[in-house]
Amino acid sequence: MTEALIVRGLNKTFAKPAVSDLDLTVHAGELYALLGPNGAGKTTTLRMVAGLTQPDSGEVEIFGVDARKNPAGAKALLAWAPDEAMIYDKLTPLEYLEFVAGLWNIEPRAAKTKAEELLETLGLTSEARRRCEGFSRGMKQKVAVAGALIHDPKLLILDEPLTGLDAAAARLVKDMLQARVDAGGTVILTTHILEVAERMADRIGIIAGGRLMAEGTLDELRSKAGEASGRTLEDVFLQLTSEAVAP
Amino acid sequence: MSLPFKPASTAWLLAHELRLNWRGFKAGRKASGPGAFIAFVVLGCIILIGGIFLGLAVRGHEVPIIPLSSIIADLILAVILTLMLSTTLAASADALYERNDLDLLFSSPLAPRKVLFVRALGLAVNAGLWFLVPAALLLTPSIVLGHWAWASVFVVLSAAALGASGVGLLLAMALFALIGPRRTRTVAQVMAALIGAAFFLASQYRNLMGERASESLFARIALDVRDGKIVLPPFADWPLRAAIGQPVPLLVIVLIGAGIFLFAARVLGRRFADAAAATQGAETRKAAKGPTRAFAAGAFRATVRKELRLVSRDAALLSQVLLRVLYMVPLAFAMSRSAAHLPVWALAGPAAAVTFLAGQVAGSLIWITVSAEDTPDLLAISPTPMKVLRRAKLTAALIPVAVLLAIPIAILAWFAPLAALWTAIGAALTAWSSGLIGIWHQKPGKRADFRRRRTGSFLSALAELLIAFLFGGATALAVAGWYVWALLPLIVAGAVMMALRRTDEQIGAALRTAAT
Repeated sequence: MTEALIVRGLNKTFAKPAVSDLDLTVHAGELYALLGPNGAGKTTTLRMVAGLTQPDSGEVEIFGVDARKNPAGAKALLAWAPDEAMIYDKLTPLEYLEFVAGLWNIEPRAAKTKAEELLETLGLTSEARRRCEGFSRGMKQKVAVAGALIHDPKLLILDEPLTGLDAAAARLVKDMLQARVDAGGTVILTTHILEVAERMADRIGIIAGGRLMAEGTLDELRSKAGEASGRTLEDVFLQLTSEAVAP
Repeated sequence: MSLPFKPASTAWLLAHELRLNWRGFKAGRKASGPGAFIAFVVLGCIILIGGIFLGLAVRGHEVPIIPLSSIIADLILAVILTLMLSTTLAASADALYERNDLDLLFSSPLAPRKVLFVRALGLAVNAGLWFLVPAALLLTPSIVLGHWAWASVFVVLSAAALGASGVGLLLAMALFALIGPRRTRTVAQVMAALIGAAFFLASQYRNLMGERASESLFARIALDVRDGKIVLPPFADWPLRAAIGQPVPLLVIVLIGAGIFLFAARVLGRRFADAAAATQGAETRKAAKGPTRAFAAGAFRATVRKELRLVSRDAALLSQVLLRVLYMVPLAFAMSRSAAHLPVWALAGPAAAVTFLAGQVAGSLIWITVSAEDTPDLLAISPTPMKVLRRAKLTAALIPVAVLLAIPIAILAWFAPLAALWTAIGAALTAWSSGLIGIWHQKPGKRADFRRRRTGSFLSALAELLIAFLFGGATALAVAGWYVWALLPLIVAGAVMMALRRTDEQIGAALRTAAT
């Protein structure tokens, strides 16, 4: 099986350790949900994978490309969408997508067609030439998601992608992510909405105190937690994370 | 620190407003701490000493109420009122856009009228203090030495501040009604900049009109006043009479100032609140029409295009650049006049000034394009090398400078082609160097903090100034024909640039250090 992401022995310390000896493997073509309480190290881990934060030690490999030795090669394969949309208020969605496509060196004509398709899918066609400054948080998030998809990344990393979205927009984004995985793409996301992970993720990783506490399918996590079949992910999550926090 | 007033009272709310204004003022200073305090004390002492000399000089003398003194008093009051208006107009728009606390205040049990009244009063106090503090230092010795009635100047200034705040609010309201809430901020900032620049242009009347014409105009006015040919309109001497303490003119001026203020703050208060609410997310900007442009090819072109779009849509930046363009107008006049009538060495000063301004404008633009990048993470995760992005940002910063410089240099080229060539080279070198310094010593900041960007990196601000002076000097010497001497500042500038240079790795390390 091809691995989309391999993380080995990843460490990062700020004032205190944020990520400690983290090992993680994400298979190509799966949707992997990384869960954890606030301050668990989820975002730091994903930022290190995306090349935004330098790890103190450890290895990150994206589709076989060593992200530390060949950052440009690794970055060409991935997209990163954080919870705060990385957009420019003074640009229109179309102008924003033009810029992002330029950064990934996409052929202009193909990029424009793709941008228009994405905006249509996300219900933003009528807003395509209006500046983002008046947009709601949900609309901005949708523009950012379009930006993440414009270069057709092999690995899509999303940090709390559903924050601020209304029910319809959240459903739209979830459907897009599922369609992407169905088409062979790989998606890693963090979320505090455990139901989303429960329903969408092929595998789930639970991180607490900078360490991976458990990993696997929902059934595997249930059995690791020693819970009877039928308990929700929330029960499993709370049990595993409380064990990590307990002295 | 808690405020020494009853919570929710007008005084308490005003003290809160003034505290925020004071902290905003302090945050916008280049220097802070003991150095800045000492500088303010020294400046205050200088004004106070001037005031003591003034007090001694006018002791026992009364201000004559004649046409000349009335015209001078009217002019001073007009200047003060206009400067106050430029402050309050921009502040009115800022109060709506940059201080996002209106929702909090309106959702509290405080009466909206009280909130708006205090906010308006805060604008007036802010505008008034700029003049009241120096006026107090300058006039207190005279007041103590016998001119007790001159204390009325403070009352006149307070009334002027109230009136200017009222007019500022009314203008902001009119702009809201005419062009919508979002564009109001842009227009208010540009108008404030224009008002400020108008005084600069007025002070440059010699350059604009030519020495002979301006002198003859001034002499004519003085003669007409002396011969009684200039008849002042009724009440034109009331500002002077009010300032020296005559009760009726003083009362009228106070009533006018306070009346305008109360009318603006209270009668239009509700509309102000509605306009403020309209700015909290309502979209008034229409979508662009017509065919869409083809996408730019590659990271370099896409980045240049994106930066130029952002620069052209930045209200604060536009007003600052507009100001500097206005500063170039008298220079252009002086250059064309000197080029037409004087030997070429007379162009040296204006050429140096154009070079210096090119560096200043480039410094502002590079700060916007590099340090005030809205989404640095987006650039960092892209596979485009940072080197390419920086080059694109530098190019985007230099394009507007080239466009701005084209006019004065074209005028110069018409009369003195060689001087124009040296000016163009000097300005290009200065702008390019300022851009490089901005890249090497970038310090991430927010676009909204543009007006206080200099606080971000003192070293780069100082270096920019030094380099602009050196290249300005070299340009002046080259224009004057002293080519060998021009090499000297050029060599020093080169050495300074070498000392300031940072590699990509060093820039990255500095940014990481700043981030942690």
